[in-house]
Amino acid sequence: MKRLAILTILLLVVAVTATAQTQSGPAVPIKIGAICDFAGPCFMYCEASMEGLRIAVEEINAAGGILGRKLEVATRDTEMKVDVAVRELKDLILREKVNFLIGPCSSGTGLAMQVVHSEYKTLRISAIANTEGMTVDKFSPYFVQVVPNTYMEATANTRYLHKKYPKAKKFCTIGPDYEFGRREEAAFEEEIKRLVPDAEILYQAWPKPGEKDFTSFITAIMAKKPDAVHGSLFGGDLVAFTKQAAPYGFFEKFPFIALYDLPVLMSLGVDAPDGVMGFGRGCFFMDPNPKMMAFAEKFKTVKGAYPDAWAVQTYDAVYLLKAGIEKAKTVETDAVVKALEGLSIEGLRGKFFIRPLDHMGSVPCYQGVIAKDPAYPFKVWKEISRIPGEEVMRPEAGVREIWQKTGVVR
Amino acid sequence: MSLDVLFNQFMSGIARGALLFLVASGLSLTFGVLRVLNFAHGSLYMLGAFLSYSIWKHLLIPVVGFYVATIIAALLIAAIGLVIELFLLRRLYSRGWPEQLLATYAVVLIITDAVKWGWGGEFLSIPRPKPFTGAVLLFDFPFPSYNFFIILLGLGLVVFLWWLVYRTRLGDIIRAAAHDREMVSALGIPIPWLFTWIFVLGSLIAGLSGAVSAPYGAIALGMDIDIIIECFAVVVIGGMGSLPGTLLGSFIVGQVYAFGIMIKPELALANIFIVMAVVLIIRPWGIFGKPER
Repeated sequence: MKRLAILTILLLVVAVTATAQTQSGPAVPIKIGAICDFAGPCFMYCEASMEGLRIAVEEINAAGGILGRKLEVATRDTEMKVDVAVRELKDLILREKVNFLIGPCSSGTGLAMQVVHSEYKTLRISAIANTEGMTVDKFSPYFVQVVPNTYMEATANTRYLHKKYPKAKKFCTIGPDYEFGRREEAAFEEEIKRLVPDAEILYQAWPKPGEKDFTSFITAIMAKKPDAVHGSLFGGDLVAFTKQAAPYGFFEKFPFIALYDLPVLMSLGVDAPDGVMGFGRGCFFMDPNPKMMAFAEKFKTVKGAYPDAWAVQTYDAVYLLKAGIEKAKTVETDAVVKALEGLSIEGLRGKFFIRPLDHMGSVPCYQGVIAKDPAYPFKVWKEISRIPGEEVMRPEAGVREIWQKTGVVR
Repeated sequence: MSLDVLFNQFMSGIARGALLFLVASGLSLTFGVLRVLNFAHGSLYMLGAFLSYSIWKHLLIPVVGFYVATIIAALLIAAIGLVIELFLLRRLYSRGWPEQLLATYAVVLIITDAVKWGWGGEFLSIPRPKPFTGAVLLFDFPFPSYNFFIILLGLGLVVFLWWLVYRTRLGDIIRAAAHDREMVSALGIPIPWLFTWIFVLGSLIAGLSGAVSAPYGAIALGMDIDIIIECFAVVVIGGMGSLPGTLLGSFIVGQVYAFGIMIKPELALANIFIVMAVVLIIRPWGIFGKPER
């Protein structure tokens, strides 16, 4: 009896695996694991990102899919915790058997996941998290970046700041005290010392992410009397900072640049300070090309609000993946990785390519000056600058130099 | 370093301390009487901020809209506090600390998800209300007038709580209950109801402080945990359940932070917890607190 039972189970297992194998024909969908941090400051970015993903997937499926196969999405939440991120990632790879991964928002969970999916040889494209640590320090062939990394972003906005205020020599910085802020300000320091050899950093403020009261930071910066202030504050922190700095006359006294993107401008409303410099990663008012505007309209009809860069980048990530698979003519990871190297596509932010050396996308960085625009119920930018990724990517020699220190062999 | 720079830094610390005091006073009051460490106090503060935004947005009354929204939001939070006390906390007074902490932490998670569901996790902002939009000059240096509003509100709350606790019959009962709950109960005073109203008052303060914090900074997910941790530092330093202690604790935390930022910004936050650790070692019950019997 017992033997019969074992035999039946064995037969069943064989039957199931057999059907699973025969299923891998053209009818099987290509599965994307979307993993994001639906918590804290990342919550709304992830929501927007998933909507961008959904729109891209629907468009592709309506046009017949990729290699005749439809796209399917499995979504997971990391709760912005490293341990949860790793657990959910493993679940996507092992149980859901996803072909590719897109996400997350936090540089922290992103770095933790990189080790794991690289071990399982699964490709991940990052559409929000942008620490240079992911492409440079801890390079993995199974990782591709379509957001300007911290180095590119800070290098670009430092050039913009310098162009606007060429005489500024004494600077203060203010950035959130974690991976992202630290890297942005380090890149600022590197670039400003290249542009202005006798530049001086008088003071660096490191408020914790989620700081509610910046008053003491503001008075400390003002006491130093800098020529300009470089910031990498973003989101709710930047909203709080802006409201608290305004009564001090901070924005009249010091040229200031920070991540004044769409959600911040919308949240600030009339409190958004005219004439202050902002940087961002590309949305409709930063790059109003026809493709971008069509996407913005589509997004607006579904979500009832304008899309920010998070949705744009995720949309581009899906199309990049499509181009990679089509070039490789298979969904096999190593072949797709190979196909992506050097591949260039026409995204919502214009044309960009994936640099073969470090898998960094040559995506553009945007800067501008906050101003009213009668076309929108919130403030946007004027004097917009679009710096192509090629101009601000860390030179390949520089990447190799870091690799020598971090032990990456390539 | 010139004197005006030091003065400005001092004032920025006062402003920070004032907001902390607003929130921490409710936490301390609840703890002093109920002996329950309400982890969800910060969540009620956050919910107060989100509610005040929605009410303000809905009312669209110029000038006074914000103040009306603040009062309504505070009252709504008080009502939510009533529900929490009647259906959850009341059943937990006789249980140990771990259970109470777990239960209030459950409320934290519920409110976080409710906010995500209701407001979608966006960060929001209310412009500063009139007449507190600008700044006043203190020794030729601007100081935001809304900060004065918060400081005045904090002082008002000190006076009110002091009057309530030390100058009313209810205050006598509150102090007696904090001292010996069985004895007060034996005298025929309905302790459960006293507890309910104290918790409602604590919640009202949480809602009020959340609402007035809205024009000051950003209304965002995560503001609950952020504030509750600093409030714990305040009440631990000043003494759990002590009103003067909370006031002194807020002042110390505000100043340590303000000058920490100026001298060594990397350690600004650590300094607060170093002070807290020192207090815990020398006087585990806080500067103005009383040792547990």
